[in-house]
Amino acid sequence: MLRITGGRVYDPANGIHGEVKDVCISDGRIVAEVEGTGVRTIDASGMVVFPGGVDVHTHVAGAALNFARAMTPENQREAVKFIHSPELRAGIGGITPTTFATGYLYAGLGYTTVNEAAVPILSARHTHEELRDTPIVDKSCCVLMANNELVLDLLEEGETERAKQVVAWLIWAAKGYGVKAVNPGGVAAWKWGKDAKILSEPVEGYSKVTPAKIIASLAAIVNDLQLPHPLHIHCNNLGAPGNISTTLETMKLLEGYRAHMAHLQFHAYGGDGWNSLRSEAATLAEYFNAHPNLTADAGAILFGNSVTITADGPWQHLLYQLTGHKWGNLDVENETGCGIVPYVYKGSNLVNAVQWAVGLELLLLINDPWRIFLTTDHPNGACFWRYPEIIHLLMDVDFRRERVRKLPAKALKRIVLGDLDREYTLSEIAVITSAGPARALGLSRKGHLGPGADADVAIYNENPDRELMFRYPRYVLKGGQVVVEEGAIRKVVDGREFIVHPSFDENIEEYLRPLFEQYYTMSFDNYPVEMHRVEGADIRECG
Amino acid sequence: MITLTLKEQPRVPLEAEAISPDVMAKLRHDEIRAVPMFLGKRQRRLDDFFEVEGEASEDLEIRGDVGKVKWIGRGMTRGRIRVAGNAGMHLGAYMKGGTIDVSGNAADWVGGEMSGGLIRIGGNAGGQVGAAYRGSLTGMQGGTILIEGSAGLEVGMRMKRGIIAVKGSVRDFPGLQMKGGTIILGGAELRTGAWMIRGTILSLRPIPLLPTFAYNCNYNPSFLRLYAKHLQIQGFSIPHEEGDGAYLLYSGDAAVSQKGEILIWQPRASS
Amino acid sequence: MNRADFIIYWGGNPADCHPRHFTKYTLTPKGKHVPMGRKGRTMVLVDVRETPSVRAADIFLQVRPGKDFEVITTLRALVKNQPVDQARVAETGLTLAQLQDLVGRMKNARFGVIFFGMGLSMTRGKHMNSAAVLALVAELNAFTKFVCMPMRGHGNVTGADVVMRWTTGFPFGVNLCRGYPRFNPGEFSTVDLLVRGDNDAALILGADPGATMPQPAIDHLARIPTIVLDPKVTRTSRLARVHITTAAMGISAPGTVYRMDEIPLPLRPILQSPYPTDEVVIRRIHEQVKAKPAWLPASFKKVPCA
Ligand SMILES: [Zn+2]
Repeated sequence: MLRITGGRVYDPANGIHGEVKDVCISDGRIVAEVEGTGVRTIDASGMVVFPGGVDVHTHVAGAALNFARAMTPENQREAVKFIHSPELRAGIGGITPTTFATGYLYAGLGYTTVNEAAVPILSARHTHEELRDTPIVDKSCCVLMANNELVLDLLEEGETERAKQVVAWLIWAAKGYGVKAVNPGGVAAWKWGKDAKILSEPVEGYSKVTPAKIIASLAAIVNDLQLPHPLHIHCNNLGAPGNISTTLETMKLLEGYRAHMAHLQFHAYGGDGWNSLRSEAATLAEYFNAHPNLTADAGAILFGNSVTITADGPWQHLLYQLTGHKWGNLDVENETGCGIVPYVYKGSNLVNAVQWAVGLELLLLINDPWRIFLTTDHPNGACFWRYPEIIHLLMDVDFRRERVRKLPAKALKRIVLGDLDREYTLSEIAVITSAGPARALGLSRKGHLGPGADADVAIYNENPDRELMFRYPRYVLKGGQVVVEEGAIRKVVDGREFIVHPSFDENIEEYLRPLFEQYYTMSFDNYPVEMHRVEGADIRECG
Repeated sequence: MITLTLKEQPRVPLEAEAISPDVMAKLRHDEIRAVPMFLGKRQRRLDDFFEVEGEASEDLEIRGDVGKVKWIGRGMTRGRIRVAGNAGMHLGAYMKGGTIDVSGNAADWVGGEMSGGLIRIGGNAGGQVGAAYRGSLTGMQGGTILIEGSAGLEVGMRMKRGIIAVKGSVRDFPGLQMKGGTIILGGAELRTGAWMIRGTILSLRPIPLLPTFAYNCNYNPSFLRLYAKHLQIQGFSIPHEEGDGAYLLYSGDAAVSQKGEILIWQPRASS
Repeated sequence: MNRADFIIYWGGNPADCHPRHFTKYTLTPKGKHVPMGRKGRTMVLVDVRETPSVRAADIFLQVRPGKDFEVITTLRALVKNQPVDQARVAETGLTLAQLQDLVGRMKNARFGVIFFGMGLSMTRGKHMNSAAVLALVAELNAFTKFVCMPMRGHGNVTGADVVMRWTTGFPFGVNLCRGYPRFNPGEFSTVDLLVRGDNDAALILGADPGATMPQPAIDHLARIPTIVLDPKVTRTSRLARVHITTAAMGISAPGTVYRMDEIPLPLRPILQSPYPTDEVVIRRIHEQVKAKPAWLPASFKKVPCA
């Protein structure tokens, strides 16, 4: 039993905004009160108490990230090293951290839950193996569905009900938590070297299936299956000048459904070429603010090294042609694919400067913090361990303006960031880093400090230097255990995995089995991930 | 001067990046003796392996066969290291200035990713001289490496600036993915200049070329006089008089670029 | 393979080494988008000698030993319409016309794939030969869809590679002596360590280096304390100080094997074994090692060099 006393508590989900009050913990959960002897006390005077961070969209495990690790030994050489000790496994931080280091780095930042946002079903077994080796944090997975030909073929034939059954079966087979749609139709087309740029045009290889149809159908299916997290969508035309029209069109298709828009920064551009690229964050925010069915994450970029990894193969090939360095591409049979390109965002580069501004503009112009969350689409826009830099930019308008002034003069005409006065409050930071994403993920025991919540708590020294404050938490608790103290890992605990079990008609297997024999190189019986491979599975029944 | 005399051969490689003028310049005798080194996975002291004479100097002399001692002179910026014997891997890697002299042979990665300074090897060198470490986009970015004997694979891989001169012959892939700088060879096995983008490779003996290099002209470039003069001081002579012969100039590698140059010396027929 | 209509096997003999590859994955199956199966595909075999795989090929290109890098580099230039030296091309054993024809076919493919075997990746040029294939394939994507995939050796090589990557950040050639992972093939790769005699003990799991490595490496293994975990008696187990018999993976021990394309497959044991699995043995060894005092001094916190 534990009592955290004297700290200013930010628990926006429960309407608490900086009151000094005690937080009590028993058996890994928050409780109203603890009594008697044997209660340990943490004196949090002069500190602020947050619910543990929740990352709604990150890439920390699986085939694509693991491929990127192999591609970039030069990054690993320069990265922070984790030295082997009796408590810690050896590892490497940096842009694509090793699994153990990923757990240490997230916990070291005060984050206790992460959602791996792109899991191909065929290699989901691999993703779960890596997640099992990612300690401390709790995890969930979004499985890739919008280019899965089993699903697309059914949509082509108008068999919506069967498509729903197949989706449900696939989620359970992958031991996933949510459904992700990446560049709907575009990745399937990329297997022919094509893309899907216009939402109303049939996808290469189909006559009736359009990206629009895929988006609307999946949103409806996820809705019907009553999954805790709505459709998680990465729009078509990621990163392309003028893609604002595609993004708005996608959001219109989603009217009437809940949906989560991933890494919006990459989807809010105007202009008709790289030379005329400009921010359309204001246009996007205006629509978004008026449509409460949507949530989003920022996908902000920061200047410096990154590795871009997405299931969006066509975009990645374009990026390779632009940079001319390394390029890796994986196609995953009939399901999805991914591309990998190391990339350096430069403050002096006009395009990168606009991108940098757009991420912050979205965070500032979308006025409900409960609907926009802090992400960098790690490691695409920047590494997750750089979140404190973004928090600093959001909380301090003078610091932000100073940075804006350093951008190329040409960029200033393409952005509105310099005109924005808004400064985030600590409460709002607690919303965009924890309470909001937990709610969007439907994780009722995360993101708050009310009785019954998991005792995941981040305690920071109050410090006017917000970057420093959030970079080195004074304490981090996971499930009631102190895992980080003064910025160093004290105790390593195992994390859990959240998975959903949507209800489906068992007979769907009779439909799928022959298709597998025909088109897959893996046998039907080997395809589903066995439950024993998921460590600490926390299963939610749905529908 | 500080003298380090090897007491006995380490059984497994000894990692000794502390053997550098930058580290030693301000250390007292007892501090030098306590400098950490890594024998396999064990952290040890310098005096576990070396007799130490002298203190606080930028002039180091190492006596004995330190062919299993790695990272000597890593990142050094000044001063001098003399090795009377063989030197182990990564000699002068990331070096920025100063001089390293080895009387015997050196192992792989001599001057890996160095950006300044001078390394002279009296015997042979291993592979990856002045090269980029795996995955890095750029190898050597400045400085000079002179090798009296032969060298191994991938000499000057991805180098961008500086000079590497090898009197003897080198194995495959000299100047691999080279971006600039100059490599002078007394001959080479296969695939000289493979995928080179820019830079100059000069061979004093005939070498096989990839199909992606095209003959351009016979050529006696004026910049060679400067190089010849510079290297003559170090005991390297490069033929450059028109009366003696000419260089056949090839450009490539067409797989990636046309801007790399390979110059092959052709002495004037004596008849 | 539901898409590939143009397949190149380079430096491999799948008919003998990977017999299921043709029939199950690449050549004969009627793919979703190649409904005619074998008739809908063109197969090119590039190798230094005629093997049984030649019979399955539409085109056989016999390259001279050790000239693969020259050929691929030439192809890279031809793909970009750059000039090459005809006489030096001929030294590879293939004519310029043959290579131009190949480039034309590659560009005209709807979906091309290159499988490259150990005849490429383990011969003169080694990793640069593999790099050449990767570069060629990346560049071909400016014209059409092209991918490549290595054909690895026997055993779960890919699995080891995959797990090393997520635990250490590097696929192979990793050294942990300084308390964190470092990578430098040539310096830390097994065969190089053994040939130079840089290690003073060896634990060997799921491999038989005594049968495949050069003699100086084998001699060193015999000199030092070598421990082998293997279900069978092997060349390596005979020269080892200790041989621990373990249950055979996939037959009597469960686990995961990664296919060459890095797709993980579960292994389900069909027999009971009286022997412990590799995992059990390693865990027991690890427990004992863990009980010893930490080998890095407590003062060792900073990382002096990468
Ligand atoms: Zn993402």
